[in-house]
Amino acid sequence: MKIIPFIKNKITLCVFVLMSLLNISCEKVVSIDLNSSSPHIVIEATISDQAGPYIVQLSQTVNFGQTNTFPPVSGAKIILSDNAGNLDSLIETLPGNYKTSTIQGVPGRTYTLTVNTGGNKYVAVSTMPPPVNIDSLSVQVETFGRNQTKYINVNFRDSANVKNYYRFVEVRNGIVQKFTFLYDDRLQDGGSITSSLFADEDTLNTGDNVLVLLQCIDKNVYNYFRTIRQASGNGGPQAASPANPISNFSNDALGYFNACAVRSKLIVIP
Amino acid sequence: MFRYLILFLFIAADTFAGSEITNNNPNKYTVNGFVTDSQTGEELVGAVITVKELTQIGTVTNAYGFFSLTIPEGSYTITAHFTGYQSLSFNINLKQNVKQNFNLVEKSLEQKEIIVTGEKRNDNVTNTQMGTDKLDVKEIQNIPVLFGEKDILKTMQLHPGIKSAGEGNGGVYVRGGGSDQNLILLDEATVYSASHFLGFFSVFNSDAIRDITIYKGTMPAEYGGRLSSVLDIKMKEGNDKQFGVNGGIGLIASRLTVEGPIIDDKASFSISGRRTYADLFLKLSKDSSINQSRLYFYDLNTKVNYQVGENDRIYLSGYFGSDVLGLGNLVGVNWGNATGTLRWNHLFSEKMFSNTSLIYSKYDYNINLNFSGNNITIYSRIQDFNLKEDLHYFIDDENGIKFGLNSVYHTIIPGTVTATNNSQTNSLILKNKYSWENSLYISHEYRPTPIVNIEYGVRFSSFSVVGPGTFYTYDDLGNRLDSLPYSSGKFAKTYFNVEPRVSLTYVLNEESSLKTSFVRSTQNLHLLSNSTSSNPTDMWIPSSNNVQPEIADQISLGYYRNFDDNTYEFSAETYFKALQHQIDYKNGAQLNFNEDVESQLLYGAGRAYGIELFLKKKYGRFNGWIGYTLSRVELKFDGVNNGNYYPARQDMTHDISIVGIYQLSEKWTFSATWVYNTGNAVTFPSGKYDITGQVLNYYTERNAYRMPAYHRLDLGATWQFEKSSLNFSLYNAYGRENAYSIRFQQDPNDPTRTQAVQTSLFRFVPSVTYNFRF
Repeated sequence: MKIIPFIKNKITLCVFVLMSLLNISCEKVVSIDLNSSSPHIVIEATISDQAGPYIVQLSQTVNFGQTNTFPPVSGAKIILSDNAGNLDSLIETLPGNYKTSTIQGVPGRTYTLTVNTGGNKYVAVSTMPPPVNIDSLSVQVETFGRNQTKYINVNFRDSANVKNYYRFVEVRNGIVQKFTFLYDDRLQDGGSITSSLFADEDTLNTGDNVLVLLQCIDKNVYNYFRTIRQASGNGGPQAASPANPISNFSNDALGYFNACAVRSKLIVIP
Repeated sequence: MFRYLILFLFIAADTFAGSEITNNNPNKYTVNGFVTDSQTGEELVGAVITVKELTQIGTVTNAYGFFSLTIPEGSYTITAHFTGYQSLSFNINLKQNVKQNFNLVEKSLEQKEIIVTGEKRNDNVTNTQMGTDKLDVKEIQNIPVLFGEKDILKTMQLHPGIKSAGEGNGGVYVRGGGSDQNLILLDEATVYSASHFLGFFSVFNSDAIRDITIYKGTMPAEYGGRLSSVLDIKMKEGNDKQFGVNGGIGLIASRLTVEGPIIDDKASFSISGRRTYADLFLKLSKDSSINQSRLYFYDLNTKVNYQVGENDRIYLSGYFGSDVLGLGNLVGVNWGNATGTLRWNHLFSEKMFSNTSLIYSKYDYNINLNFSGNNITIYSRIQDFNLKEDLHYFIDDENGIKFGLNSVYHTIIPGTVTATNNSQTNSLILKNKYSWENSLYISHEYRPTPIVNIEYGVRFSSFSVVGPGTFYTYDDLGNRLDSLPYSSGKFAKTYFNVEPRVSLTYVLNEESSLKTSFVRSTQNLHLLSNSTSSNPTDMWIPSSNNVQPEIADQISLGYYRNFDDNTYEFSAETYFKALQHQIDYKNGAQLNFNEDVESQLLYGAGRAYGIELFLKKKYGRFNGWIGYTLSRVELKFDGVNNGNYYPARQDMTHDISIVGIYQLSEKWTFSATWVYNTGNAVTFPSGKYDITGQVLNYYTERNAYRMPAYHRLDLGATWQFEKSSLNFSLYNAYGRENAYSIRFQQDPNDPTRTQAVQTSLFRFVPSVTYNFRF
């Protein structure tokens, strides 16, 4: 549920409005002596009900002081299989980039991804839920003071009596946005849903071409993206004990394996 | 439980049987009474009563200003002493029980200079209390604070062992305990959230407060329910001799107190209000996102008391406070406490003092959201009904017995979401949680010889989780295994605990003593909060079938020494505390609006230890203190840092506070405080990685890093004229940029790099407060 972080943001915002008025808060870049860590595996994998091939990316963590170039992990042995007896061995096409060749994502099936590299084995399981269509997209304008915020409302129908988890990805003028919007039907099971893709300090502009992807995801993948916020540094007040997002991979790997059903719709911002 | 009850009755009966014999001693009589301020009629707590002819005998007034002393027949000079007041003596020919009240007159500056020899001022050395700090509200008036808002909690944090986590965190951390482990009592009512504005100010308007005592080590048996400390705050009774109005106008808030007699010397009232008005400046802004904002808090303290007869006095007090935040009609948030206490003091005899209290306390928050056609209201509350009976039996000059009982019924509304019909969200109602907490205690103060003082006792506590409600059990992954429904009034789970309390003082000589104590305490209400600031939406949960009572065992040892005819007080205390059933959260725990919140918790152990040094100059034009704490607090949870001990967030190795107050003349007083502490333990990333083009922090260990050290100098000056004063203060006088938070983000100038950004608050905050009195 997004309401609570939303409120915490607003409360913090109110207090900071006052503080900035009184000119009592300031920010500066500081140097912090962070420990180095040995490189750790990061796996990012998605299979959808759209046509393949599907891509699995392997990379490594780097120390905080280094540049944002993340070394790819080559030479891994990766197998993607489903519970219908299909099995696909992935081929490395670019360093760290592995492609499927035969397997096709089908809603309802459970997929297992096995990665063998550096003498370690990482396994993740994900079940692809049935797809949900986007009925319509609309643009919401929130005027607050002199600031106008435009964002998209996604309308879709939730199926009743099943736990549904949704993830929305916004592709703005061809660029995948980093905000992850999530929705679960804990508060409204079944019926017509409007979900707002509203991120603080972010607004759409007239003429933007926005493609919205609605992913139906399983609970573990939902939990991964729910807990990614606190590692990303944006979103909500500082958590007292931030931690890595909860991965569905075994053996402590970072990242996720997402088997999802995807539907999309395009809108041009008026 | 019945076994304990019977044991309790036996001890009680036995003691009374013993006391009968003392009572029948034909040569002993009792002198008792109240010690009060001659101008206001306010009771003086902790005033020392001495007998000139019997140098080894003395007593101290209790929390209601009452004393009782039983001594052999004879002629005596009995004197009452209280810091800052002229001592007062009466000659008494004790041939029968005598009632003698003392109305003490406050000293002028010149008189404060003169040290009267023979005053008993070494009570800190000889009493059994250790790990106790007492603040007189008059004492804090000169200490500089943020925006000039006198704040008893912030001043308390200048004592060793009592720590603050910096600005924007209202938490008080005592001897390594968490901020929810302090029992904060305002006229005996629990205050669940003691801070305003996310922790920048405390809810206690110091104009309405008479005194505050903090027990950080040896909680007497009459207190229970929290692990770390008790902050016992008493509101002013109101002047029963004459009407008075006083108040103050400050930079962000104004205060007004009206007090006076209802019936002279018999009944009085006091009403204090405080409200911030920074939001009025917001209205001046042209930016509607600012001028439509609401942002204020207020506090209202009210109290009346009535002296019914010689032996009865009734008090009714209430506190109401709230924070209000809002942005236009988009968001409205308010939260606050309300408490009410009805108290009856009764003297059953010249030796038996009784206090009966009926107490109500509540904390709630209410959130209104209005956007995109959604209208959503969120509400949560914790509420107590509390009955308390305390009896103090002053047997003779060697023995005293305190005993009593306490029964509290807690109702928690974890959260309801109400949405209007056209909203996109359904209503959600988490089930209320009911619990019933009961305790019995007895303790014996015993002074077998003038050099040994013992207080030992025990508190029996029970905590029952009561239906209606459905209780779940969970597997290791947090999935529901089983559900057990209980109907109304049925007990789902009851915990019993026995909490022994012992403290012993050994007087080495007139000026020094050794003290030691052991205390077990338990806690059945737990605050869930996983953010660095104090949030109004933090939630209390009771112990349950999943959550066990937290338990702390603390042993402490101290050396007390007064110098230079008791002008200087020195103490060194060391403690070790073992903690059981501590609570932490699983990674990514979902704490709000989760029916299965108990499946999100981890349970572990903890340990805290340290040494506290304190040197105080009590008398003279120049006074103040230096406190130093060296301490450590560590936690151990399966699944966190490989199950090894790791520092708790509030672990700060070194902590120093220096307070100096200099009274230059009747008109001018200057003050300065300096604080230093090691930074909190925090979790910082040890690496980073990429997920769909977003750089994420890679965490390897919890609380393995430190925030930068915190230090700050505050200066203050008070100019007294007529009955008014002007108070000037400069907060953070050398403009130290103390870290409020540190976050890690992409460098806006070089996207290939990541940077650490520190936010600091409050550099050089000057303020002026005008205080008046009619």
